[in-house]
Amino acid sequence: MSEWALSLHDLVKDFDGKRAVDHISFTVKRGEILGLLGPNGAGKTTTIRMVMDIIAPDAGRVEILGEGLSEKVKDRIGFLPEERGLYRKLKVMDTLLFFGELKGMKAAAARERGRRLLEQFQLAGYEEKKVEELSKGMAQKLQFITTILHDPELLILDEPFSGLDPLNIELIQGIILERRRKGTTIIYSTHLMEYAEKTVDSLVMIDQGRKVLDGTLAAVKAEYGRKFIRLQYEGDARFVAGLPYVRSSRDSGREMEIELEDLSKREQLLRDLLGRVTVNGFQLSEPSLQNIFIRKVREGAGA
Amino acid sequence: MNKLFAVIKKEYKTIVKKKSFIIMTILTPVLMAGMMVVPVLLMKVDRSDKKIAVADYAGGYIQALSAGPAKKGAKPKGKLDMDAMNEMPELPGRISFHPVQLGGRDAAGLLREYEQKVLKKEIDGLLLIPADVKSRRQVSYYSTSISDFTTLNFIESTLRTAISRQLLLERQIDPAVVDEATREISMETFKVKKEGTTKSDSGMDYMMSLFMIIILFMILINYGQIIMRGVLEEKTSRISELLISSARATHIFYGKLLGIGLAGLTQVALWILLAVILVSRFSGMVDAAILSFLTPEIAFYFVIFFILGFFIYAIPYAFIGAAVNTDQEAQQFASVLSVLIIVPYILGISALQNPNSTLTLVASLFPLFTPILMFMRITTAVPPLWQILASIGLCVLTIWGLAWLGAKIFRVGMLMYGKKPSLGEMLRWVRYK
Repeated sequence: MSEWALSLHDLVKDFDGKRAVDHISFTVKRGEILGLLGPNGAGKTTTIRMVMDIIAPDAGRVEILGEGLSEKVKDRIGFLPEERGLYRKLKVMDTLLFFGELKGMKAAAARERGRRLLEQFQLAGYEEKKVEELSKGMAQKLQFITTILHDPELLILDEPFSGLDPLNIELIQGIILERRRKGTTIIYSTHLMEYAEKTVDSLVMIDQGRKVLDGTLAAVKAEYGRKFIRLQYEGDARFVAGLPYVRSSRDSGREMEIELEDLSKREQLLRDLLGRVTVNGFQLSEPSLQNIFIRKVREGAGA
Repeated sequence: MNKLFAVIKKEYKTIVKKKSFIIMTILTPVLMAGMMVVPVLLMKVDRSDKKIAVADYAGGYIQALSAGPAKKGAKPKGKLDMDAMNEMPELPGRISFHPVQLGGRDAAGLLREYEQKVLKKEIDGLLLIPADVKSRRQVSYYSTSISDFTTLNFIESTLRTAISRQLLLERQIDPAVVDEATREISMETFKVKKEGTTKSDSGMDYMMSLFMIIILFMILINYGQIIMRGVLEEKTSRISELLISSARATHIFYGKLLGIGLAGLTQVALWILLAVILVSRFSGMVDAAILSFLTPEIAFYFVIFFILGFFIYAIPYAFIGAAVNTDQEAQQFASVLSVLIIVPYILGISALQNPNSTLTLVASLFPLFTPILMFMRITTAVPPLWQILASIGLCVLTIWGLAWLGAKIFRVGMLMYGKKPSLGEMLRWVRYK
């Protein structure tokens, strides 16, 4: 058994001459949570669709749970598509039975496990309701249940938090962590960095179809963290962006995040600041994923 | 294979549990029975009373008219009988004859007076029986409506009989012999079939064939649209992504066809069952012609051609559902397809008159037309067995090809969003693995 749950080799996909996915490769270790991060339109969903064999890549290869995507392998994967959809006229329990059987479960097992999950998701008592009678949040939860119903080894979730209220986000996050404790490998895409930051073990950032960064969360943070200065100030600090040793800066008006070429320049920066602005605070900081994300995306856009 | 069954089960249950399915299943036979019975009832009820003045210069014919022509024998009453249409001359219904007091007036004078009465609708018509009717065999009828063949036939045949009787009686012939000699005759029609000859009414046969074809036509379009909407729903709601990532596209496609087809078959089976129950329960009220038409053989072919027709039309409907993005687009394409189904239907109506013509033969072997046309031929003229088998064989081959093509188009089309695919693009889908 390979140590990878999923590996992508040089995936390429063009739509109408426009490259949506540009030579993306990465691997996902068994048992880890990997966040696939990037702005809207970066190619996250296209990448996931190629992994799930919904669209064929123009070039490249996907290896999933040690093999190609056969029918047998499909049964071991739970997939939550970006755009949710269930049969509106189907009853809740019938929905679970259908998707359970579609994943190779026996009807009795699907019913039994479906019932337990409905309870866990506070949907007990809705078994005989039609999907169209559920609220949007409930339907989202039901969709999530269909994804994990067959106890998959690998979960692929495309934007699992979009459209959920904070309570349900907590709920889904809890389930994701619980699944990981049981050894499930989880891949999810999101543009909500603050949630990714709390749960992922490693991450892949893509922008305009290209992979811009990958690694474990700890490694990524460590790499970027040492070069960042968080400055609280009063006055006009626009000149900072033009300083030769400043790689990038993000000005929020009273607080600025400054990335240095080299951390040894921090004293130089402090000297340059003194006298021109009032310095209220000056510390080395670990950047949030949000900042790394924005910085990487800006780089990618050539800004 | 289990996944195929999961899809079949889900599609089947979804349709069979729908309210519209249950209502249609019960309502259609009731409507059909109604459509057969109501025209007959209307024909019986809708005879307006007719008042006809009779100027009987010859004398004695007014009694004969009021009595009607000689009976051919007692007819069981209380039956809903399609024959009633043809036998109306026997049932004078509400035609009443009123003798005109001649009072020495000649025909021309009488006519001037009665023309006014006819126009004012005081009477419906004037019948002039000249004194020399026996030799000239000529009477005149004046009315605003002279297209009422039932009334005209009645008068003609009654007078003919009356004159014949009179001539015979004048020659001193035994009145019993005269009665016997002037009895009306009636004609029964029989259909000659290989399996045996049965009593059959040509008008009845025509109507029953038409009914069955209409029903076949309706359910084919109905189930085609159900498939189309189902596929489109999966596409627009993106359930297709879940399906494709869980099972083989062919399993999903065939499962869908089979599940919905089985639901249709269930409906047809229930109809046949209901028809059998209704006919056996109310056999006294049903015309023998209907019973002779609704043979197990016809039911068998109805099922066969429903199945063939279902697949031949359902797969193109599924294409449409998979290829388009919105309901409006789907309806546009579906109406084109409906025309393709209407063609054999229209051909069928004209071919009913002439079920053995070469055009009908060729058209009924064309797979897109076979389900409706070949069935129509079977209900009317019983084509040779080899033609039936050949048409079924061609249909099966066509379905096989369509299913192969359909699975491919379904696989790709289901996951294409946004733009309408061109024909070239669809051809490329076929090559997609």
